Amino acid sequence: MTLGMLVAAVILVGLLILVLMYNSLIGRRNSVDSVFATVDVQLKKRYDLIPNLVAMVKGYMEHEKDLLEKLTALRVKALESQSHDDKVEIDNQIAKPLQQILLSVENYPDLKANQNMIHLQGTLNEIEEQISAARRAYNASVLEYNNAVDMFPTNLLAGMMRFTRRRFFEMAAAEREPVQITFGSKGD
Amino acid sequence: MTPIENSEQYSDQSFDQYYERDLFPHLQELEERRRQIVGRVTTAGFAAALFSVVAAVAGVAYTNTLGAGLPGIFIGLFALVLGGIIFAILYHFMTKGYVAEFKERVIGNVVRFVDPNLSYHQEGSIEESVYMGSQIFPTRPDRYRGEDLVRGKIGQTAVEFSEVHSEYRTVSTDKDGKRQEQWHTIFRGIFFIADFNKHFAGQTVVLPDVAERMFGRLGQKLQSWNFARQGELVKLEDPEFEQRFVVYSDDQVEARYILSTSLMARIVGFANKSNNQIHLSFVASKLYIAISYQKNLFEPKLFQSLLDKRLLQEYLADLSLAVEIVADLNLNNRIWTKQ
Repeated sequence: MTLGMLVAAVILVGLLILVLMYNSLIGRRNSVDSVFATVDVQLKKRYDLIPNLVAMVKGYMEHEKDLLEKLTALRVKALESQSHDDKVEIDNQIAKPLQQILLSVENYPDLKANQNMIHLQGTLNEIEEQISAARRAYNASVLEYNNAVDMFPTNLLAGMMRFTRRRFFEMAAAEREPVQITFGSKGD
Repeated sequence: MTPIENSEQYSDQSFDQYYERDLFPHLQELEERRRQIVGRVTTAGFAAALFSVVAAVAGVAYTNTLGAGLPGIFIGLFALVLGGIIFAILYHFMTKGYVAEFKERVIGNVVRFVDPNLSYHQEGSIEESVYMGSQIFPTRPDRYRGEDLVRGKIGQTAVEFSEVHSEYRTVSTDKDGKRQEQWHTIFRGIFFIADFNKHFAGQTVVLPDVAERMFGRLGQKLQSWNFARQGELVKLEDPEFEQRFVVYSDDQVEARYILSTSLMARIVGFANKSNNQIHLSFVASKLYIAISYQKNLFEPKLFQSLLDKRLLQEYLADLSLAVEIVADLNLNNRIWTKQ
């Protein structure tokens, strides 16, 4: 009788552990998705501002016309992209032309001094910081999730239930920095 | 101006000139007064000691003649204590005016030298409600004192800081059943508040990290179970920063928005520079830093000559450390939407 109860207890404890491990994996995966949603929101805010930026600089930047067109095209692509990987890819592509436009504002003193431009740059810088923060938070949650998928003993369950590693949100090679507006002061 | 340039400004030539021209005359007058006070205090000390001894002897002799030997000792002790109390009262009144004058004339001047936009208020301090609002030390203090308030605007950043000493009390009964009160320090040092250069709504707290240093990953696990703290543990990327600090926040993304890679590096730099334990918090677009000190800052030492330049340099160093936070953490960098 007691042997039977012991076996039942062991099985129960074993099941409990399995449940805890499964929930831990689910929790961490959900965390990854939830933080990506935050990244997405910030990315969208940036994409929404691009038409404003293009409209403001168009009159001044005759030479940079191709760049502006490229930016507009990328923006359309960004709004259409669905999967996480696509979104990451577009973000990497859009970073450089955007930064180039903002840097070339330095060459047009009238534009540079324009209050609307200054305000827009401030807002864009802030969004870049937010994107950077959201991205870092995303990578942290991916790390937690990947750890659970890879490390013993949750990796056993992960293998069985088909939990797979997620990709980190990698920075583009052109390292992102908030663009400095005034008086040669160093960016953050 | 880089932080290093800033501190060079306060040493060597410009301070020496200021010292010679503006401070020295004040110091000389105060030194005279100090010597007088030392004289009086010493006299008072001897008088009090003499009184105690005489009273003790008289007391013991009196009770002896009454035929009760033991209580005599208590009378003796009582006389000594009374003498001590009298001395303490005399000391307080003799030095009070001196300390006030010193602070006004010397510390006030040094503050203005460091930055003319700053004002000094010796009686003022950071309010207890603000101190509690920072969430750095959640324990409600039983005693809260502060002094030496400095406030003003450095560049575009509004700052305010003062000395703060907060304590809590425990009451214990010893074996004889007597109630004994013990006071424990929660925080003692400079409490500094500045306008932060980014807008944010929530709360993020940066505390010195003991567990991670000692226990590594296990320490991190323990920290994530810290229910005394509101908010989640935030694990950041800068290894040196993570080694020294543990971060709790109510929003993972906002914590990283505030603690950018460069700010983390700057905080580590400041911690190294300061050599004291520091706690930080970010609440509602303001930055709070608690710098722990063991000593009472900006006090004139009665038994040390005021004409010793090192004394002034010490005040200058303590003051500069706080003021330079703005440069060290690049708080005047206003390239986002907050101006």
